[in-house]
Amino acid sequence: MGKLGIAHIFASFNNIIITVTDLTGAETFSRCSGGMVTKSAKDEGSPYTAMKVAQTVAEQILEKGIDRLNVKVRGQGGNKGSTPGRGAQAAIRALVRSGLKIGKIEDVTPLPHDGCRKKGGRRGRRI
Amino acid sequence: MAKARSRTTTRKVKDRWKAKNWYNILAPPSFDNVTVADTLADGPDNLINRITGVSLADLTNDFRKSHIVLYFQVKSVEENNAHTQFIGHTLTSDYLRRLIRRRRSKIEGVYDITTRDGAQIRVKPFAATDKRIQNSQKKIVRESMKKTINEQATKSTLSEFVNIIIDGKLGSELYKNCKNLYPVKRIEIYKTEVITQPTIKIEDKPKKKKEETEKVEDKKEEKPTKKKEEKKTGEIIEIPEEPKEKLVEEEKPPEKKEKTKEEKPKKKEEKIESEKTVKKTKKPTTKKTTNKNITKIKTLVKKKKAAKKEK
Repeated sequence: MGKLGIAHIFASFNNIIITVTDLTGAETFSRCSGGMVTKSAKDEGSPYTAMKVAQTVAEQILEKGIDRLNVKVRGQGGNKGSTPGRGAQAAIRALVRSGLKIGKIEDVTPLPHDGCRKKGGRRGRRI
Repeated sequence: MAKARSRTTTRKVKDRWKAKNWYNILAPPSFDNVTVADTLADGPDNLINRITGVSLADLTNDFRKSHIVLYFQVKSVEENNAHTQFIGHTLTSDYLRRLIRRRRSKIEGVYDITTRDGAQIRVKPFAATDKRIQNSQKKIVRESMKKTINEQATKSTLSEFVNIIIDGKLGSELYKNCKNLYPVKRIEIYKTEVITQPTIKIEDKPKKKKEETEKVEDKKEEKPTKKKEEKKTGEIIEIPEEPKEKLVEEEKPPEKKEKTKEEKPKKKEEKIESEKTVKKTKKPTTKKTTNKNITKIKTLVKKKKAAKKEK
């Protein structure tokens, strides 16, 4: 039996960052982001890079003897939308594919109890 | 560029990796000292003040209670075992979101309470109703919640109080008292925070209990309350003067009735949850599918309404 860890997946619309820690969140086992895998900035948030990021993370973890994960998915949050980006799904799928056992999947997007005004002004964004 | 960077990071981590040791984190003695998690650390000093969140399902092997998360903080370390304290609990956000719907109101409260062993806790109850209710009605429900929570807290120690909350006994007690004021659908305690840990060590001394209950009675009599509640307080005051054995007999039977009522809706939820868990194992993203179902149902309902209008 390997050890249990937590995968914090931060999937915004323009990037993805995966950090794997122990259960307290104090020790990081590995981390990877979209920019470490692709060269072009426009691809950082795409599902394909999310898959690659997840694979690199999974490799590093398995080396260290961690084969079970709880997943915490997080979107942008605040007043910028509560849904996780399109990379989140692909990342979780890639983690499963690479032989990790996944326990719980939780959405931990920070939501305001009514906070600041959303960006864009009264008449919305004009192009 | 990207490749080179990743290599350097892995080298550094590997060097530190060998120096670190694994430690077991044990649950507090009120939860039978079960091993809850493993962590890495350079030494025992680094371990202190770390916090773990554990779902009750993992602690008790009862999958129904997976929506409750307990938080433990490391207090002391012996060899490879780290001992912890209870510092609070929450319900998971998706569970709470399921209870809240449109055209229904939720009632929340925040109360600071001291238990019998001198611990200060912040307790946050949550109630959901079938209809939208007025603020005055909410106020009445909130007052009754505050009263029952205070009563329970003054009776019990911190660990006892936490156990009552986790079992759902405090929730059912609240439900019983609120039922006459307004037919509330669900009451639960969605959050607790321990502000200060217990100062006095108490191991079940029956004499002290009586004294403290008497103090509580005095406080109640001073407060001006509404007519309905006055009747209730009168009943409550009479009871504790009698010996305790009668108290137990009187309290138990109404709880049983309620349990039978409440179990039915719970079972339905279990089914739903179990289905969801099955789905999760197959496909990691099930949230969207449920949303789709809801939208499908909504569209069906709209079509039906349109058809009726045409007729």
